[in-house]
Amino acid sequence: MPDPRRRRLEIRDVTHVYEGKTATRALDGVSLDVFENEFLAIVGPVGSGKTTLVRIVAGFLTPSSGVVLWDGAPVAGPSPERGYVFQEEAIFPWMTVRDNLQFGLLAQGVPASEREKIVAELVTLIGLEGYERAYPKELSGGMSKMVEVARVLATDPAILLLDEPFGLLDAQTRSKMQDQLSRLWEEKRKTVILVTHDIEEAIYLADRVVVFTPRPGRVQAEVVVDLPRPRSLETRFSPAFLELKRSIWKEIGRA
Amino acid sequence: MRPAEAARPPKARRVWLGLASVVALVAAYTLLSNAYRVVDPSLLPDPIRGVLRPQILPPTQRIFDAFVQLVGAGASPVGGAYVHTGDHIGGLVEQRVTLQGSLLISTYRVLIGIAVGGSLGVLAGLLMGWSRAVDEYAHPIYILFRSIPPLALITYVMLWLGHGTAHVLLPIIYAVFTVVVIPTYHGVRDVADIYVKAARALGAGGRLLLSRVVLPAAGPFVLSGLRYALIIAWMTTVGVEMLMADEGIGYLLIGGGMWSSRLEVAGDPAVIVVGIVALALVGYAMDAGVRVAGDRLTEWVKR
Amino acid sequence: MNGLWRRRLWRALLSVGALAVLYGIASEIGSALLPRRIWMVAHYLEDVELLPPYRSLLEETVFLIQSGILPRSVLVSTARVFEGLALGAAVGVPLGLSMARAARLECLLDPWVTFFRFTPALALLPLYALWFGLGELSKILLIATAVAVVTLLGAYQGVRDVPRVYLEAAKSLGASKGLILRKIVWPAALPQIFSSLRIALGLAWVTVVVAELIKATMPSLGYLLALAGAYPRVPTIAVGIVTIGLLVLACDAVALGCYAVATRWMKRSPAHA
Ligand SMILES: Nc1ncnc2c1ncn2[C@@H]1O[C@H](COP(=O)(O)OP(=O)(O)OP(=O)(O)O)[C@@H](O)[C@H]1O
Ligand SMILES: [Mg+2]
Repeated sequence: MPDPRRRRLEIRDVTHVYEGKTATRALDGVSLDVFENEFLAIVGPVGSGKTTLVRIVAGFLTPSSGVVLWDGAPVAGPSPERGYVFQEEAIFPWMTVRDNLQFGLLAQGVPASEREKIVAELVTLIGLEGYERAYPKELSGGMSKMVEVARVLATDPAILLLDEPFGLLDAQTRSKMQDQLSRLWEEKRKTVILVTHDIEEAIYLADRVVVFTPRPGRVQAEVVVDLPRPRSLETRFSPAFLELKRSIWKEIGRA
Repeated sequence: MRPAEAARPPKARRVWLGLASVVALVAAYTLLSNAYRVVDPSLLPDPIRGVLRPQILPPTQRIFDAFVQLVGAGASPVGGAYVHTGDHIGGLVEQRVTLQGSLLISTYRVLIGIAVGGSLGVLAGLLMGWSRAVDEYAHPIYILFRSIPPLALITYVMLWLGHGTAHVLLPIIYAVFTVVVIPTYHGVRDVADIYVKAARALGAGGRLLLSRVVLPAAGPFVLSGLRYALIIAWMTTVGVEMLMADEGIGYLLIGGGMWSSRLEVAGDPAVIVVGIVALALVGYAMDAGVRVAGDRLTEWVKR
Repeated sequence: MNGLWRRRLWRALLSVGALAVLYGIASEIGSALLPRRIWMVAHYLEDVELLPPYRSLLEETVFLIQSGILPRSVLVSTARVFEGLALGAAVGVPLGLSMARAARLECLLDPWVTFFRFTPALALLPLYALWFGLGELSKILLIATAVAVVTLLGAYQGVRDVPRVYLEAAKSLGASKGLILRKIVWPAALPQIFSSLRIALGLAWVTVVVAELIKATMPSLGYLLALAGAYPRVPTIAVGIVTIGLLVLACDAVALGCYAVATRWMKRSPAHA
């Protein structure tokens, strides 16, 4: 059945093997399509190749076999068009919040007045007013992750690749960040790939959840999330939410 | 966090490139230093005329000759036909100063400096890192003394100790001491501290704590301090020997002369180059030794 | 925090003060008991104050300052140190940076860097004296060599240690090579460059003192020590040593300040606070 939506990212039968003392097969024949304005979540156990896949899409890794097409053309190297938020902390510690946020704009040669405007918007968006001149050492883990997300948003990428952005946060901050990301998505309607361990997070945020098998990563199941938007605390306790959660856990149990 | 591993060429290629660069430069130097045989330097424009002389750029084969002469100097008859006392190498040969003998003496001085200065430095670092009171009283004094370059003391120390062994060794010991204190101190204070607390909670104390917890935890820091101390010890040894000793590699480099009139005898660049290369090789070998031994001793460290 | 610092300061003053008093007493006893004639190699040295009391140290300081000898010596030696530092860093830092960024250059230079790393800079003095004469140039070049080696290694290691994730993040934001060098590599490596400069500054002082002791062509601190040692005049030696010590201390404090400014963005562990 042809999908009416525009297909932006095509992952065709991608396999990746890390060569080294012991060769590690991280991905094994993964095929996935991501559509315009879609919010896709990938869940899978530790070491199932999620980061590997994201790095391939971002252009930092060439797959051992298979291809990744972005708008029909093979991905060749990183580009600001595909905004990538790393699993590790990647906020530049020697730059203030403001300089971090405008780095991508600086790289594109955006004039200073324009930069200031965008930075001011982003600061409001992530709720960090007053922290423009602070160094990252003065921010909490969650705050600096939000800066990283906003830094990527600044250049208005066509797709956002988020690799476990809230992995290290406590439950409360985490849910706050999820709400913020949800709001942000409602506002900007970007194409997003979100990698996470947290099944609830995946359901809460995504339109579609892809479940990976343990290493080597393969697509084990796809679950479409048709919960109404905008989502809220109520969504988390709705019967439909619980039903989705149950079906995903079932898929994982089958592996 | 992973450091930036830029695409590094494979090891074989690295070695090959390094070797090629050494060979190429030595070859280029050999050509340049022998150019005076082909063209008459006095015809060349001024700065080049001054440089292209064997007294300034000794031809490679002369450096090699100097090496052979210096190695064999102990055995050669005094006043042999080729000896010109008064020039650098002739003077050395006449005094039967050999390269290996000089290196041995200097190495011995370095080792004494490391042994004595190193133990004292580790001890001081341990005490200062271990006890806050000792740290707060002793650290300012340490910083004051550390600020004095060891060789600045040489004229004063001579008045107390006379002109002899102790006088030569003291600046070396002093230099090593000041260098070793700080890494040990940081190792004990910043690194060992948490383990000490954990071990105390497990009921360990006294000697056990020191030998099983503090020393191993501070070990890698002490070792890296020692590696730096080795470089400083060689530097100081060469300095002292150039200034006032009657033997050792520094003496060989400077070719004698009395205190403060040293360097007045025009040196022979061939001898100096031989000395410098020998110093670099011995320094490298000693560092490699400490590195290998250190890796053995601190195998548990994450690398 | 405040109380902690006050106690530290108090204890520092106490121990330094105690040392000063102790010296005062020792020198008074010493001037009565210590011999003033010393046998040295082949002859007697007359009228040696092994432990000059504060009185003669003060007189000597006043004399050396009023005669202009000390200020001029300080100026000459300090100028040499900073000229050598500037020259050495201007060569060492860019070379270290490019070695860390260009793999082939690194392979080519590696044996030479290793060679200079294990060659005590002082050993080059006779060679430099031969090539550049006994004057200013050979001394400054000697310092510059020592500084260049240290700063090269610092800059190289600094760049090597830049976490890869920062480079990748910049690249994925679309940064050009030049921008990455200016805004990522340089600031991230700067702390290590500054700490290598601090080490280099200390080394520069050691080098200049020895170079001046061996052969001085102008009034300078090392020359002062050499001259005073030849007489010998212990108060002059003492003033010279203390002056050098204070200068090294001041330079180190400035270097430490620069380091603190360059790294104000860094998280500090509480132990360093
Ligand atoms: N640079 C590398 N070199 C060698 N092996 C690697 C490398 N990066 C990842 N691997 C291996 O590939 C496999 C997949 O790693 P990957 O980081 O993609 O997993 P992940 O799903 O992101 O895990 P996590 O949930 O812990 O982030 C793992 O077994 C890992 O050990
Ligand atoms: Mg991952």
